[in-house]
This record gives sequence, C-alpha cells and structure tokens, in this order.
Amino acid sequence: MAEPTRRVMLAAAAAGSLGLAGCKGIAALGPLPNISPDVVTLEHAIEAEELMVATYRAAAGQLAASGNGQRLSAVVTAIQAEHQAHVTRLRARLVLPPRLARTKFAAGRPSPLPADSHGIIGALVADERAAAARLTSQLLHAPPALAQLMASIAASEAAHVIYLRRAGAA
Amino acid sequence: MAARTGTVAALQAALAAEQAASYGYGVVGAHLRGAAFNVASADCIVHERARDALTRLIISRGGTPRAAAAAYQLPIGVTSTADAAKLAVDLELEVVASYVDLAAVPDPRLRALAATSMQKACVRAARWGAKSQPFPGLAP
Repeated sequence: MAEPTRRVMLAAAAAGSLGLAGCKGIAALGPLPNISPDVVTLEHAIEAEELMVATYRAAAGQLAASGNGQRLSAVVTAIQAEHQAHVTRLRARLVLPPRLARTKFAAGRPSPLPADSHGIIGALVADERAAAARLTSQLLHAPPALAQLMASIAASEAAHVIYLRRAGAA
Repeated sequence: MAARTGTVAALQAALAAEQAASYGYGVVGAHLRGAAFNVASADCIVHERARDALTRLIISRGGTPRAAAAAYQLPIGVTSTADAAKLAVDLELEVVASYVDLAAVPDPRLRALAATSMQKACVRAARWGAKSQPFPGLAP
C-alpha cells in the first residue's frame, strides 16, 4: 500500500511551482493553486476532532464541578486525550506551503451540554457515534494512508461509546 | 492488475484473522459459563460469518482463499475466565489490525467493510475489557 504521502505530494507541488518561477521573483509564482479535495477532507477531519476535544474539555469541567462527577470527569479527560492524539496525528499529515495555509482553523464551538451527568454522557456517546460514521464516509475516497488512519480513529471512537456507557452506569 | 492483487492480499489478511478468531473463540467459550458464554458464542458466530463473507469476496475476485489452519498457536494460555476474556481481547485486536490494509484498497465498498469491521471488533474488544487506545490497528 505504498503511496506518496501528503507531505511528499505537497512538497513536490511547491518545488514545481518554484522551479517554474525560475529567477523572475515571487510575482512569477502566479495564482494560488486550488486546495485539493483530499486536503479539504483532511481539514474537515481535523476540525471535527478539534471540536470533539473542546466538547470533552467542557464536559470534563462540568462533571468535575458537580458533586459526584469526579470519577466520570477522569474518564472523560482520558478520552479527551485520545481525541487530542487524533488531532495531532491528522495535523501531521497536513503540511501546506505558507501561501496556502489558512490563517486559522475555524473550529466550531461546542454545543451546550446538558446539565446532568447522565445527559452529558449521552451527548458524548452521540458525538462519538456521529464522528465514527462521518469518518467512515470520508475515508471511502481519501488517499490510502489517510483512509487507514481515519478507519483506525473511527474504530477508537466507536469503542469510546462502550467506555462512556460503562463509566456512566457505574 | 496490481490493484486487484493488493485487494485480494488485503482480503486474505482479514480472512486469516477471522479464521483465527473463529478458532480462538472456541477456546474462549470453553472457559465461560452463563451470560459470558452466550456473548462469546455470539461473537464467534460474527467471526464465522465474516470469514465466510471474505471467502466469497476472494473467490469473486479470482483468488483462492487460504485454508484455515487445523489449530492455532494462541497468544496466551487459557485456564480461567479472566484468561478467556483476555484472549477474546487479543483476538479482536488482531482482527482490527487485519483490516487496516483493506481500508486502503481502491474499492470504496471494501473500505467501508474494513472500517465497519474494525469498529465492531474494537467495540467487542472494549466489552471484553480492552483498554482504550487512540489508534487501534496501527503502529503506536
């Protein structure tokens, strides 16, 4: 399943542009190339994971502030760390030349969570299921190595449902 | 041609893990009783069905499914219910890893099969007591 990595492909594209520019200065670089659909897919996956991290952070805070939510908060914080690892590994595949890099990711704000711990866990379970389903759809046409990473992340998120439910039921 | 060869190889890898899981769950179930035995029996059937489906997919692509071994070297010895659960975890995580190559083949239907199979195996592993991990099936 060897394939050129995203990093290699983007580096090659940038090198090609510079080669064509020769010594005519930066103006000769011409218009910005379009961002490929694969990069857009990757950006969407990163944004979704960042939103998940923000949601878990909010959930952990709410649970820790509640009277008997310390144990649940610890479980939620542990899963949050896994989502942060997802962000890091996905971001490692996104290497854009400075001219193409967005000024910032427009990660959405997490939706308000229910007030009670049962509702919070239920909301996180729904988010995990939706995330796994979304990744399963996105990976169908992604570059092979990214598809494998997305499949692994989706599997991790599907299993989070079990850990959340177990913690919520205890 | 190369893509088809790669696809059949990926299917063979998943088939081998499903064959091993089908065998291994027989050992798991032998050490369990009651509800846990019923769960193991149901999980065993899932793997047997996946094994049969993968066999058909390989044949439909002109391949020859590798035969299952008569017996498998299990990763751990099983002498207790705790061992049985640990073996089930190991079997499921092996299944997760075995589908990773299939998630990268050109056919999106097979990618979907790989992804959903990985998710279901990961869920079963979690139910049998696996620790959560951020990248199941991939090298750390």
